[in-house]
Amino acid sequence: MLLWMGQQLNPRSPLYNMAFLFDLRGVFDASAFQLAFAKLLEQNDAMRTVFRISDGEPQQLVLEDFSFELLVEDWGSQTITDVALTDWAEQRSAQLLDLEQCCFDSLLIQLSEDRWLWYLNQHHLITDAWSVTVMYKAIMDYYQLAIDGKLDEAPVLPLFGDYVAYEAEQRAKAKTAAHWNTKEVPRALPRLYGFRGLETSSQSVRVPVHMGLERTEQLRALTTAKELRSWTPHATLFNVFVTTLFTYLFRTSGQRRLAIGSPAHNRAKPLFKETPGVFIELFPLGIEIEEGDTFLSLYKKVRTEVNSFLMQGQPGASTAELSRSFGAVLNYIHAGFPVVEGLEMQSHWVHAGHCDPRHHVRMQVYDFDQTGEIQIYFDLNVDVFDETLRDQAPGHYLRILDAFIADRDQFLVTPALTAEAEQEQWLKGFNAAVSTSAPALLVQQFEARVAQHPQRLALRCEEVEFTYEELNSKANQLAACLKAHGLQVGDRLAIHLRRSPELLIAIWGALKAGVAYVPISWDTPASRVRELLSLADCSLLLTSAERAQANFAAQQSLALDREQNWWSDYSNANPEPAAVASDLAYIMFTSGSTGQPKGVMISHGALANYIAYAKDKYTTEQRATFALFTRIGFDLTVTSIFTPLVAGGITVIYPERETGPDLAVLDVMRDNQVDIVKLTPSHLELVRAGDWSHSRIRVMIVGGEDFKASLASAVAATFPSGLQIYNEYGPTEATVGCIVHQFQPVDLRKGSVPIGRPTTNMEAYVLDEQGHLVPMGIIGELYLAGSGLAEGYWQDDERTGERFVPHAFQSQKRMYRTGDLARLNTEGELEFLGRADEQLKIGGIRVEPGEIEAQLANFQGIEGVAVELWDQSPRQGSEEVQHCSKCGLPSNYPDVTYDEHQVCNYCQEFEGYRQRVEKYFRTLDDLQDIFAASQKRKTGAYDCLMLLSGGKDSTYALGQLVEMGYKVLAFTLDNGYISQQALDNVERVAKELGVDCVVGSTPAMNEIFVDSLQRFSNVCNGCFKTIYTLATQVAVEKGIPIIVTGLSRGQFFETRLTEELFRDDRLDPDAIDDIILTARKEYHQVDDAVKRLMDTSIFEDGKVFEQVEFVDFYRYTDVSLQEMYIYLDDRLPWIRPTDTGRSTNCLINKLGIHIHTKLEGHSNYAFPYAWDVRMGHKQRDTAIDEINEPIDLEEVQQMMQEIGYVEPQPATRELVAFYGGEQPQDAASLRAYLAETLPDYMIPTRFQHLPTLPITPNGKIDRKALRTLDLEERAPQTYVAPSTQVEELIAGMWEEVLGMEQVGIHDDFLALGGTSLSAIRLMSRINETLELDLSLGLIFQEPTIAKFSARIEEILEELLSGMDE
Amino acid sequence: MDVKDTLIQFIQHDLIDDDQPINSDEDLLTTGLIDSVRVMRLVNFVGEAFAIEIPPEDMTIDHFISVDAISDYVASRKS
Repeated sequence: MLLWMGQQLNPRSPLYNMAFLFDLRGVFDASAFQLAFAKLLEQNDAMRTVFRISDGEPQQLVLEDFSFELLVEDWGSQTITDVALTDWAEQRSAQLLDLEQCCFDSLLIQLSEDRWLWYLNQHHLITDAWSVTVMYKAIMDYYQLAIDGKLDEAPVLPLFGDYVAYEAEQRAKAKTAAHWNTKEVPRALPRLYGFRGLETSSQSVRVPVHMGLERTEQLRALTTAKELRSWTPHATLFNVFVTTLFTYLFRTSGQRRLAIGSPAHNRAKPLFKETPGVFIELFPLGIEIEEGDTFLSLYKKVRTEVNSFLMQGQPGASTAELSRSFGAVLNYIHAGFPVVEGLEMQSHWVHAGHCDPRHHVRMQVYDFDQTGEIQIYFDLNVDVFDETLRDQAPGHYLRILDAFIADRDQFLVTPALTAEAEQEQWLKGFNAAVSTSAPALLVQQFEARVAQHPQRLALRCEEVEFTYEELNSKANQLAACLKAHGLQVGDRLAIHLRRSPELLIAIWGALKAGVAYVPISWDTPASRVRELLSLADCSLLLTSAERAQANFAAQQSLALDREQNWWSDYSNANPEPAAVASDLAYIMFTSGSTGQPKGVMISHGALANYIAYAKDKYTTEQRATFALFTRIGFDLTVTSIFTPLVAGGITVIYPERETGPDLAVLDVMRDNQVDIVKLTPSHLELVRAGDWSHSRIRVMIVGGEDFKASLASAVAATFPSGLQIYNEYGPTEATVGCIVHQFQPVDLRKGSVPIGRPTTNMEAYVLDEQGHLVPMGIIGELYLAGSGLAEGYWQDDERTGERFVPHAFQSQKRMYRTGDLARLNTEGELEFLGRADEQLKIGGIRVEPGEIEAQLANFQGIEGVAVELWDQSPRQGSEEVQHCSKCGLPSNYPDVTYDEHQVCNYCQEFEGYRQRVEKYFRTLDDLQDIFAASQKRKTGAYDCLMLLSGGKDSTYALGQLVEMGYKVLAFTLDNGYISQQALDNVERVAKELGVDCVVGSTPAMNEIFVDSLQRFSNVCNGCFKTIYTLATQVAVEKGIPIIVTGLSRGQFFETRLTEELFRDDRLDPDAIDDIILTARKEYHQVDDAVKRLMDTSIFEDGKVFEQVEFVDFYRYTDVSLQEMYIYLDDRLPWIRPTDTGRSTNCLINKLGIHIHTKLEGHSNYAFPYAWDVRMGHKQRDTAIDEINEPIDLEEVQQMMQEIGYVEPQPATRELVAFYGGEQPQDAASLRAYLAETLPDYMIPTRFQHLPTLPITPNGKIDRKALRTLDLEERAPQTYVAPSTQVEELIAGMWEEVLGMEQVGIHDDFLALGGTSLSAIRLMSRINETLELDLSLGLIFQEPTIAKFSARIEEILEELLSGMDE
Repeated sequence: MDVKDTLIQFIQHDLIDDDQPINSDEDLLTTGLIDSVRVMRLVNFVGEAFAIEIPPEDMTIDHFISVDAISDYVASRKS
């Protein structure tokens, strides 16, 4: 049925055709074969099956009266190559079969006297690979019989119909169905080789993976290794292929949560092994690859997963959803075609050129012809694998397989994927731009320009203009002056000036003098200026008069102002060249991730290399006017400082303003004086909205951050046509820019503008974690090499050593590790994908924010986007905690409010129903009545079982019961953490009272604790359930009719009672009991650790509660704390435990309290203690003291280890999209828009509108500022909002009861932390509001708002229609 | 009927459809007598017949290679 549906979804595609070509050599009798074929048809009901639609439903019919003539064609007259044969077979097999008439196609072809072909194509609806081998064997048997004239003696083939009957019988056993329903399979398909599409066609190409005999034998040898050995050698091989295919998916996608589909062959009975027909069903194998996994560790996980797959892969258990839950399929076939005497046969499995479009890779492993050499083929979806990748993919897989064979203890990330040929391509093709000689240094180039056109305008700054000669003279004078001040080659000169003519004089002066300049932007705070001066150990500071007095440093400083020209006495002649290529030109300080500035040392040679490229690429003799308007301490600005002056152009300078944000970019655009600008994408966001149709700008060089193609396109549309937009990538450490791409409209498809190819004399490599080149498309870290590399970091050898590493492919050279992620796209351009250390991952899947940003940026009305993973710190009580003046409930408890007397809302509300609560409580006489009534159910010696924890409440209750004359069996759970003193108490008290005591335990206790911590952030819930489970078993076993609990009245309100139950003033306590009983039954049905790991069969039908009644002792007695202690002291040998640190008797409680406080923001005891105080069973101060008692973290850590609990990630993280633009956009529309092109997990959960995105002084998006924005106020938008009135109403109640701000209509009640207590609260509210009488179980049957509301609407409709009649 | 007899009967009648005698020390797996799909039926049977939960980690060749091995495993899980 799944296949039929699949075919209906892809009606024009032969994706399920399964064709074979049998190449037969030897003496062959065609007419005998035709007879045999007819016999096969008669015997094989699967072949006679057709599919017809009747009443809109597909019907499977087995036709009794069926004829098919096997035609014979003679091709003997033509010579046919094998390639032509394959082509013919592929074309023929691509023909669609008419499923209503005949599900197969077959033909016999004579090629020569002794060479024949039998072509058989069947729809997958009637066959699987195994079946083909069965049919082949059958037809060959018939063929022999036909030759011998004994065809009527042919044995009968088993009928597929028998299996269909068997399958129906086996179908969907509840347990199997539950397994697959609850199995978590990653829904996201791995994005192999960076594939970004959502939709793929069904077209696929089969490519061979050349195993070879040697490798096959090595693999076979592995199957005997003890640590790999599985059930059978085939099973072991299968596991090896699963492991290596998982590794291949992981390595080519970067994703760790992966699924592979594989067929369960379902031929579980020997008879079925001989039955032709389709048996297989696809099931997913799911795995999570962890950091540090080796081939062997993955293999072991795989083996366990495969066992579960074999166990649960039952006939009929697959569903449409399951069979579509993976993007890769492994088909391991160990059936083979039998050898027929006198007839040589070679089989070809013909690929019809199509597969299920979701299956991006199918790996076929078989040895049909039993040659002993395993054949592997990849069926590769053509949308994911282009021709180059189809060539390379088998090699990538084989390198993984070889690595497994060679050393299975190596890490999965260790082996290289790329072949030498691919490396050659990088080295010789991609990084090919090399100049024959190094360019002249800048000073020489500039001086040559001065000589060439001394009177040409060199710079303009407001009203001031300098010619080349004027600028050069002043720079020469300053250089001489610097020398006179004792500065030498290699010394550092700090330049802290506004953008001004003096700035250029200073920089050129420094270069001419051979001293390295250290640019410090004008807006740098004074303290930072001091820090940089001292860090760089500058000999001199050049600044302006106003700041020279600021006394930045002990160093000498000179004021370089326009009015004063004190250095004009020095010679204005060009000095002798001072610096050589290896001398430092500048040191640029950037802020490191640690906050400590790092100084990047750039040599004259590196600088000249970049500027030479920039000049050639961006300027012409006529067009070289640049704007200088960005910060001088930002290496992006270097382009505008030097390029115009070595190109013979003009630098138009825009000084910093005194106040307000630096919006010089707008001035540049409005002034319209320049041809070329160098700027950031964020600058472009500022100008994209204007009308620049008269702009003279012809070239934009964009750098500094990810550049969205939509922005480039918008800018291109705003400016006159012919604008060249370059995306220039380069860290400061590789001198401004070293990879460049010119934007083309076609880039719009890619989201971000690619960064392109390396510039002249520069090299770029994308390497994996092991330093291997990654294949095309795969994300890796970008490494740079070439003449533009910095010399290293100023006085930081350690950091230099870390980032500037030996070249991976060329000796004696260095590479710079950028820390940036990149990949090579199919056009051979590099794409930038963000910082490696800021990689976003959600649920183990790598998310590329750039891609989401690019999509969102295309949305109408959005200007500027940044997607960030936003860390929500856990709710931790950082503020001072207040307590209710009555009950002590702390202010960190959710939704608590206090009135002017500091009385909490719970206490206030309680006053309103205190009297009704009183009605719920009873007297000891009532208790005696219950005991009397229970006698008829009693079948053993005991009247009741008392849950005895050893604490004061249960000990007191036990004493009372004994004094009332009942025969009590005490039951204590030893959870492994009960305090010794409590256990001693239990023993002493039982002995004193003459009570039998059972101490129960379970080996599953630790797992139950972990489960409880995961579900409820405490240990108590799990422990309680264990007690109830074991105690009920004991009670049933011993015929005890009553189980008495020692829960305090406060605990009633924590676990059973809610104020909703008392709102109705006609309160009937019996009704409350019924509700509690229903809740108790549901409680034992929850699929948690207790249910999984303990025998809970007695709770299955809820009948046990007719036998065993639960009684809360303190419902029947009201005893003050003082009375209780007096009784315990006087009457019983009970000692208050001192070793637990609080009034509880359980040590692991501390762990529960710690985790609860950490994750939920308050102690799990806050609420019950407050109730105890309210009910007069606890002193307020004691309660507060106990809640606030400090917890020994070391002890807690140790307990976590003991029980195997791993703390969850400290923060919940969500993907937030920040966007600019005039108007906020509707989040649902944005989500729907993104869903068209992005997978679910990449869709942000929140969309945050900001009028403008925050920008750093350098003109980049200020991501740090975004991450610290306070979003707390805004409701999460993960959810589908309610759309009907009923849904709104129900959602409101869910939100109240669950204490959440917003609940989506498809969220699951239990998944949101719903408990049976919250179910009681919820159902009470719903019944009250809607005046209905719905059962508590409804919330478990319809666990989402959408489903629940639909049911309510049905019920309401029924009621209404009932009224009409 | 003891554990070994129960197992032998199941294997003979339900797994190999063949009444060929099986010795309790006979290798069921490496000889190909039982393939990996059928071994899962055996595992299931062992779990149900002897009322033990068999976690996937325990499903190893060593525990199921022969009737003797299975019987030892069952005994270890029962104790």
